[in-house]
Amino acid sequence: MRYGLSVLMRGAIVTATALFLNAQAGAARLLREATIGEPPPLDVMLTTADVASVIGRHIFETLYALDSTYAPRPLLAESDREEDGGKTIVIKLREGILFHNGKEMTAKDVVASMTRWGSYGARGKLLMAAATSVEASGKYEVTLKLSAPNGAWKTLIADVNGGLAIYPEDIATNAGNKPIEQKDYIGTGPYKFVEWRPNRYVEVEKFDGYKPVQEKGDGFAGARVAMFDKIRFIPVPDVGTRVSGVQAGDYDYAEMISGDLYESLSKDQSVQVQRTNAPIFGLFFMNSKQGILKDNYKLRRAIQTALDKSQALRVAFGPKDLWNAEGSIFPKGTPWYSAEGVSGYSAHDAKKAKELAKEADYTGTPIRLLVSTNYQAHYDEASVFTRQLADAGINVQMMVVDWATLLKMRGQPEQWDIFVTHHSFSPDPLLLTFLNASYPGWWDSPEIGTLRAELIKSTDPAARKATWDKIQALIYEQVPVMKVGDAYTYDIASPKLKGLNPNGPAFWNVSTK
Amino acid sequence: MWSYAFKRAGTTAVTLLAASVIIFAFIHVVPGDPIYVLLGDTATPDQIDALRHQLGLDQPILLQYLTWMGHVLEGDLGRSIFFQAPVLSVIADGAETSILLATMTMVWVAVIGVPIGMIAAVRHGTWLDQGLSGGAMLMASIPTFWVGLYLILIFAAWLGWFPSSGYPSIFEGGLANLRYLVLPSLALAAPNAALILRLTRASMLDVSREDYVRTARAKGIRPWQVVRRHIWRNALLAVVSAFGFTFAALLSEAVVTETVFALPGIGRLVVQSILRRDYPVIQGVILVIVVVYLLINLIVDLSYRLLDPRVELQ
Repeated sequence: MRYGLSVLMRGAIVTATALFLNAQAGAARLLREATIGEPPPLDVMLTTADVASVIGRHIFETLYALDSTYAPRPLLAESDREEDGGKTIVIKLREGILFHNGKEMTAKDVVASMTRWGSYGARGKLLMAAATSVEASGKYEVTLKLSAPNGAWKTLIADVNGGLAIYPEDIATNAGNKPIEQKDYIGTGPYKFVEWRPNRYVEVEKFDGYKPVQEKGDGFAGARVAMFDKIRFIPVPDVGTRVSGVQAGDYDYAEMISGDLYESLSKDQSVQVQRTNAPIFGLFFMNSKQGILKDNYKLRRAIQTALDKSQALRVAFGPKDLWNAEGSIFPKGTPWYSAEGVSGYSAHDAKKAKELAKEADYTGTPIRLLVSTNYQAHYDEASVFTRQLADAGINVQMMVVDWATLLKMRGQPEQWDIFVTHHSFSPDPLLLTFLNASYPGWWDSPEIGTLRAELIKSTDPAARKATWDKIQALIYEQVPVMKVGDAYTYDIASPKLKGLNPNGPAFWNVSTK
Repeated sequence: MWSYAFKRAGTTAVTLLAASVIIFAFIHVVPGDPIYVLLGDTATPDQIDALRHQLGLDQPILLQYLTWMGHVLEGDLGRSIFFQAPVLSVIADGAETSILLATMTMVWVAVIGVPIGMIAAVRHGTWLDQGLSGGAMLMASIPTFWVGLYLILIFAAWLGWFPSSGYPSIFEGGLANLRYLVLPSLALAAPNAALILRLTRASMLDVSREDYVRTARAKGIRPWQVVRRHIWRNALLAVVSAFGFTFAALLSEAVVTETVFALPGIGRLVVQSILRRDYPVIQGVILVIVVVYLLINLIVDLSYRLLDPRVELQ
């Protein structure tokens, strides 16, 4: 009996060991990325959620892509020309590009995608509101006609985030405004969609029919070569778990790590730190449609004058490597950097703020500040500013809600006076949300209306920059938004990975050392 | 027995109906909207209205409830707005993790809590009893997430004995994948084992003061025989019911552990769904949890009868 038991035990141990080793095997060509959470449906045309873009950019592609300097370069497009003073754009497509369903991409697919993007795409109106027609002028040629030239057209279609991803014609045509189904996640990217296990992972696998462009990979532009057989995007909402997971070798890459861990992780041999090359920036939106701040530019300037942005950035992001108290809307080193109006960026002068508030006939009425706890940085910044404004006699009432509630409430102008969000880096001013008159905040003064039209129509880079300088000066005069400062997010990766993308998580051209 | 079971089934159905109304009303009263989360930052009011109409979210609440309830009665919990998949399959996928985690946790709870509780009761009043009871208090007081983070740090990041997080299904990688649940189940077991330990100890002390126990001791029966034959089984009643409710509670209470260990379980699913306002998933998960609670309640009541024939079911 005892002998039998020992045989059983040994058998069990051998079986368990075999199962364990089996589980360890086969993972050599799999890259595991820990994302901050579950994405919404991967219809990247409709959504601007970053987590959808990170996964979606491996599956779907755009006609142009942004390089490491955020300049647009041809991707599915081969070349282009402008006619009629920029009102007609002719795009020649690359030939032999295959969708994941094996069919070749032609101008019909691009036209159908462009049409849907113009109607329902998150950023489609920026370009397509002025479109008079879009048609296939050849099997591999698309002609877009605009009522007025658009100086940023190439940049506007160079990113999948709410952008012009190219879908097969039938999918784009039949989808309408509803997110496309998983069975229709068919793009031209280096990886194709395999499955989405809710609450577990989204998996993509190498697409053997992929045809990269000839240029060397640079940012999101250039050749995209899939070095891994499969990639799994695993939702790991807790930042501590993402960090431990990379340290323990359970994930190869983890996104959006908190600032308080930056210094220790920079010295940690078990991970490599990957700081983004372009900052995000916090924004406090003023309500231009209703309430105490509507048209009251003096009171808005009083609020901005009271603030010390560095203090808020330090509390929200920690080490100095991760933030920069920069008043220019665009960071230094970009073509759009401007010093116009920045003297008003972070005066931290309570006395002057009080005077301005008095001139604005402010009598202590509570100013409702809408902020979410889902993004700790938003809450930290709002807390610091509320304190600083109290010192200047400005009475702020924080309304703390979750992100889903904030998204709904900010669309109701009677509910708030200021709301807090952040903005990702934009390669062109036209992509700034606060220049869109229908975006909550509803900045649509006659002055900005004139300058916005000027910025859209102008195709000369120098003229557009001059217009942007005027707009930035106006931002500091009318204060539709207050910029908090530049913040550099960072990710961590296994030290074995090489070829990481400076623009953000993108795993083509990435391999193991 | 059978008439009791039928009666209980009737009250269970009424409870479920009331729960469904409360769940639905509560979820739809909470501000926020899945459409905003779905479309992201730059959606226009027109796009939002059009998609809300497509998904039927612009219908009157009562009509939405009746539609949902009609489908539920047909065994269809609807489709997740975000996953674009049937809610039932989403829940089933999460249930595997949650049930295995709860089961493994209960194993730890039984292995740690019950024997140590018995030892503390038998050695009542000694330094050993005080040490074990004090240790139990400490275990019950330490937050689960803190225990979880330290378990990850020591056994995953430093020693590399167990995976730090995640759980691939045993149906994909075999039983070896159970190792993913060792650390989370230990973290979750700590406070629950402490409670069971204290309950076992208290229950045994109560029974040991009964007359028949005193008689058994007076007859000269060995102490451990008295415990085994006379005290243990009678003390078990309270412990069994606590086990039942602890197991049911773990399905929903595990949310912190599931978040810390990135486990694809029911707890994390419902929290993430609340944050995104994925109404069909929230409604489905909570309804399932209510059903599980009611079933376990019924099983516990019926098992009383099996454990103690004197118990009358009414």
